[in-house]
Amino acid sequence: MKQFAGCAALAIVAAFAVPLANPLPASAADTIVLGAAISITGKTAKEGEYTRDGYQFAIDTLNQNGGIKVGGKSYQLQLKYYDDETKSERTAQLFEKLVNEDKVNFLLGPYASAPTGTAAPIAEKYKIPMVEANGSAESIFTKGYKYSFMVLSPAKLYLRGIIDVVRKKDPSAKTVAILGENEPFSKEVAQGVAEYAKQLGMNVVYHELYPSNTQDVSSLLTNVKAKNPDIVLGAGHLQDSLLIVKQAKDLGVSPRAMGFSVGPSSPEFRANLKQDADYLFGATQWTSALKYVGEDVWKTPEAYAKAFKAKYPKYGVIPYQVAESSAAVIVYQKALEKAGTLDPKKVRDVIAALDFTSFYGQIKFDSRGVNIYKPMAVEQLQPDGNKYTVYPTEVAEKEALYPMPPWNRRASR
Amino acid sequence: MSSAEFAQIAVNAILLSGILALVALGFSLVWGIMNIVNLAHGAFVVLGAYFTFYLNELAGVDPFVSIPLSMVTLFIIGFIVQRVLINQVVRAPLLATFLLTFGLEILIVNLVNYFFKADLRSVTTRYSGTGWTVGVVRVPYIRLAALGIALVLVALTAWFLRATRQGRAIRATGMDIDAARLTGVKVGTIYSLTYAIGAALAGAAGSLLSMIVPFDPNIGGPYTQRAFVISVLGGLGEVANVVLGALLYAFVDVFVGARLPELSQAFTFAALVILLVLRPEGIAGKKFYA
Repeated sequence: MKQFAGCAALAIVAAFAVPLANPLPASAADTIVLGAAISITGKTAKEGEYTRDGYQFAIDTLNQNGGIKVGGKSYQLQLKYYDDETKSERTAQLFEKLVNEDKVNFLLGPYASAPTGTAAPIAEKYKIPMVEANGSAESIFTKGYKYSFMVLSPAKLYLRGIIDVVRKKDPSAKTVAILGENEPFSKEVAQGVAEYAKQLGMNVVYHELYPSNTQDVSSLLTNVKAKNPDIVLGAGHLQDSLLIVKQAKDLGVSPRAMGFSVGPSSPEFRANLKQDADYLFGATQWTSALKYVGEDVWKTPEAYAKAFKAKYPKYGVIPYQVAESSAAVIVYQKALEKAGTLDPKKVRDVIAALDFTSFYGQIKFDSRGVNIYKPMAVEQLQPDGNKYTVYPTEVAEKEALYPMPPWNRRASR
Repeated sequence: MSSAEFAQIAVNAILLSGILALVALGFSLVWGIMNIVNLAHGAFVVLGAYFTFYLNELAGVDPFVSIPLSMVTLFIIGFIVQRVLINQVVRAPLLATFLLTFGLEILIVNLVNYFFKADLRSVTTRYSGTGWTVGVVRVPYIRLAALGIALVLVALTAWFLRATRQGRAIRATGMDIDAARLTGVKVGTIYSLTYAIGAALAGAAGSLLSMIVPFDPNIGGPYTQRAFVISVLGGLGEVANVVLGALLYAFVDVFVGARLPELSQAFTFAALVILLVLRPEGIAGKKFYA
C-alpha cells in the first residue's frame, strides 16, 4: 500500500511535468494552422504569456472578421502552441513536432532570441516560413536563413533612443555605463548602444556582462558607482532590470538617467518598484501612444489597444510583446491574401517582398529578414504614476524628466 | 580596485552570505540528518516569499513581522509533506528520494504558477533601499537585518539540536536510526519534525528574499542549487557550517562578479568541484557524514 501511494504520488507529479498543450482539434480543411512553441513556464513565462495572447487575439480578431481570403476561398486561422518551459533545446524539439506531427501550415516565433535561434534552423530545414516577433538578436539572421522573418526593430537599436532623449535634454551628458545579460539578444543590445554612444563622442566608462538568472549585481553596481557615470543602461530582462534598480538604490548609485531595454514597459515594473520606478526610461518596440495609421483590421495603435483591452481586461497597459506578436499574424494575413496559395515556398517569397504600414509601424524586411525600417520608442515612468512615450519626439506624449533626483533626495510617498 | 570599492564589495559579500546561509540551513539539516537531498527545498523558499508578499499586499503586514507566521505555515506544510509523502521512501535508495522530492518541486512550482501566476513580484516597503552610510560604504538596512536574522536562526537551530531533548533525538536518529529506535525515539515523528523545521527555515529565507530580489515561482530551482553548493562547501553534520559555506560562496560570487561578472557563477561551481577534490567532507564537515 505504501508503495502504491508512492507510485501514485509520482504519477501525479509526472502528469504535472508534461507540458501544457492547448487542446485543439487537428486542422480541418478550411483552417490554416499557425504553430509555435512559447515559454508559458520558466524564466520568461510572463513574456511568453504576452506572446501567446498577442497571437491569439490577432487570430480571433481575423476569424471574427470572416477569416482570411486565399485564392478566393475563406480560411479560419488557428493557433497551435506548446510550452517550451523557457528551454531553447525544448523549443527546437517542439518545432520539429509542430512540423512533423501536427503538420501546421506556418510557424510563428517563440519568446526571446535564444529559442528563436534554435527554431529558425527548423523552419529552414522544412522550408516553412517562420514570422517571429520576439527574438530581436540579429545574430539569428546572419546565417543566411531564407524562411525566418522578424517584425521587430533589431536589438542594436533598442537603447539608442534613451541616449537621444538624454542628449537632447543635456548635451553635456558624456559618460555611459552599460550592464548587459550574457545572452545573445542582450549582448547585441549592449554592443549596439555602446557603438552608438562612441559615435556621438561619448565615453563608455563601464561595459560588463552578468550571467543569466543572476540574483546579485552588487559587484557590478559598486564598480559603476566608482565611475560616476551620467547614464546607466541595463540590457537584460525584466528580472534583472528590477534587481539592478533595487540594488542601485541599496548602494546609492544615482546617475542622471537610468534606462533599460526590457522591463519598464511591462506593468510589473511599476508594481514591483512602486515609487522607485519614477524617472526610469524604458525602450519599447511599440506603445499605444504612437501615431501610426496602418492598413490592417485595427489601423491605429490606439484602436488596437482598445480592442485588446476589451477582450483581455486583466491587462492594464498593453505590453509591446502583445502588439508585436499580433503584428506577426498580420504579416501572414497580408502575405497569404497576396500570394493566393498556401504553398510555403510561394508564401515565403511574398513575405520577403512585403512593405506595408500596420498599427505596429512599418513592416518591411531587409535581405536577411530583419525589419530595420521601424524605429524604437522610449517611455518614461513619471512621478504621477503613469508611463509616457517620450521618444520619438514627434509623437511624444510628454517631455522627459531629467535629471533623475538622487535616491536619498526623494520625498517618500 | 580602489580601497573604497574593495570595502564595499566585501560588505556586499558578507551581507549576501547571511541570506544564503539561511537558504542553505534547512537544506543542510534535512540532508545531514535524514540523508534526503531535498530538491523541493527551493519550492518551500518560494512559498515563504509568496506568503510574505501576499500578507504585505493584502493586509499591509510588515514583511519582517510576517517571518514567524511564514515559518509556522511552512512548518505545518513540511510536517504534512513528510508524513504523507517522504516517509514512504525514507529507507529507499537515495534515487527514490531524489525522484520524489524532484517531483514535489515541480508539483509545487506548477501549483504556485497556477494560483499566483508567473508575474515577478517583490515586496517594496518605505524603507526599501535605505541604509547606513559608514564612511565610503553603504549598508542597506534590509540586507543587514537579513544577515542578523539568518545568524540568529542558525544559532537557534544549532542550540536546539544540541541542548533540547527533541534536538538530541534528531541527532541520534541521524547517527543511527536503529539505535535511536531502540532507545525509544519515535523515528517517524522525528523525521517529520526535522523536515518541518527544514521547511520552516526555507520559509524564513523566502520571506527575507521577497524583500531582496524580484521573484516568481521559478526561482526555487536556482536556490536549491545554491543551498546544495553551500551545504557541501560548509560540510554536513553541523548545521552552523552553512555560515562558512555561504561566506565562501558569497565571496567567490561577489569578488569574481566585480572583475569577471560573466564568470561569477562558473567560479562558484568551480570552487565546489575543487573543494570536493581536496576536502570532500567540506570546510568544516566531519568525515562521518561525507
